[in-house]
Amino acid sequence: MLREEDVKTALQSVNDPEIPVSVWDLGLVTNFGIEGHRVSVQLTFTALGCSCMDWILDDVKAAVLRVPEVSAVEVEVVWDPPWTTDRMTAKARQQLAAWGIQS
Amino acid sequence: MVSNDELMHKLAAGFVVETEQDMSEDYHRLLIQTLTITADTELISIFSILDALKYVPTLNRRLTELAIIQDELGHAHIAYRLLKHLGVDVDALIYERDASEFRNPYLMDLKLQNYAELLTLHALLDRAGYVLLGDIFHHTSYGPWKRALTKVDAEEGFHVRNGESGLRLLVKTDEGRAAVQAAVDWMFVMGLDFFGMADHLKKRSLQLDLHLKGETNDQMRQRWMKSTVRFLDSIQIRTPVHWDPEQDAYLYDFPYPCQWDEAERRWRFDQPIEWSQVLSRFKRHGPYRREYVQTLRQGRETYQKLLREGVA
Repeated sequence: MLREEDVKTALQSVNDPEIPVSVWDLGLVTNFGIEGHRVSVQLTFTALGCSCMDWILDDVKAAVLRVPEVSAVEVEVVWDPPWTTDRMTAKARQQLAAWGIQS
Repeated sequence: MVSNDELMHKLAAGFVVETEQDMSEDYHRLLIQTLTITADTELISIFSILDALKYVPTLNRRLTELAIIQDELGHAHIAYRLLKHLGVDVDALIYERDASEFRNPYLMDLKLQNYAELLTLHALLDRAGYVLLGDIFHHTSYGPWKRALTKVDAEEGFHVRNGESGLRLLVKTDEGRAAVQAAVDWMFVMGLDFFGMADHLKKRSLQLDLHLKGETNDQMRQRWMKSTVRFLDSIQIRTPVHWDPEQDAYLYDFPYPCQWDEAERRWRFDQPIEWSQVLSRFKRHGPYRREYVQTLRQGRETYQKLLREGVA
């Protein structure tokens, strides 16, 4: 039985390529759903001109597909809600501060 | 300024250098030398990437390369800014110095010929930069540089990951794999060269004594090989070195250093040379240096002309 927790753990394992902070903690994942063995993920980016969109999409798909019970993953890019720094978790803020980036 | 002995005594107790008054004359000179090499390397590195954008297969991967160019310019800016604080005329350094006097490594003066070479540049040579700057980040006694390198360290990691992620995709086809192997065949040795002369040929390093860096050339070269070979092994790409458990080090499977055939773009493993000959190749610099420095200056001239015309 595919659990929400397993998908969440997979999403947390994907780092943003530019700064090694999880896309989950950055608040890029706006929603995800499970239907049997299929997972759908709604994802946004920090900017329309994000330089790593394909890369992040590939990494997210690969990470969720690594969960044993998952047979298919669909990632949809959404721009509503728009990403702002408010979407980041406290953990992401701490990590970014350690890299010298304040929000 | 203080004497070397006085400064070394303070450094041994963990002293962090902040101002020119804290430095000895040698410290000031060597710091300027190291920062100039760093700044020039970051700046000139963008031209071969810029030229190779035409080989990048997708729009988004091109954006990734543009982000890397932006990072490198940022890193160059940090190093030139530190030089400015040390009393160097940075404008003259960038816009008036003869092209032959730039201190970037030979590799930056070449042009890349395909996407595999661009990705290999990131996976191997950005990694060399990461190792070198990582050493400075962890060991430098110069506070302003150490603080500035926090972000540089994170960004160089991104460039390496970009190379690795691209190469992992490329080796999935036979054609791609052959191109990656061909790129690694010549660029791996360029990576070895990055760390400079072998330790046993060098005089005792004042840079180490003054805590400007922490590791010797060979220590860094080994650290680079360890990480590079581990990655290349994971994608089954061959390297001209092997791990020797007895010596606890990577050993070369060819006479290193050896002759570089610039026209053929390959190493002549049958022609061993001395380090002095490697250094003279570095001094001669590569075939596109003048073009790259000229492009840099033209950009500024064009921009200034536009500004003047706009005002008039």
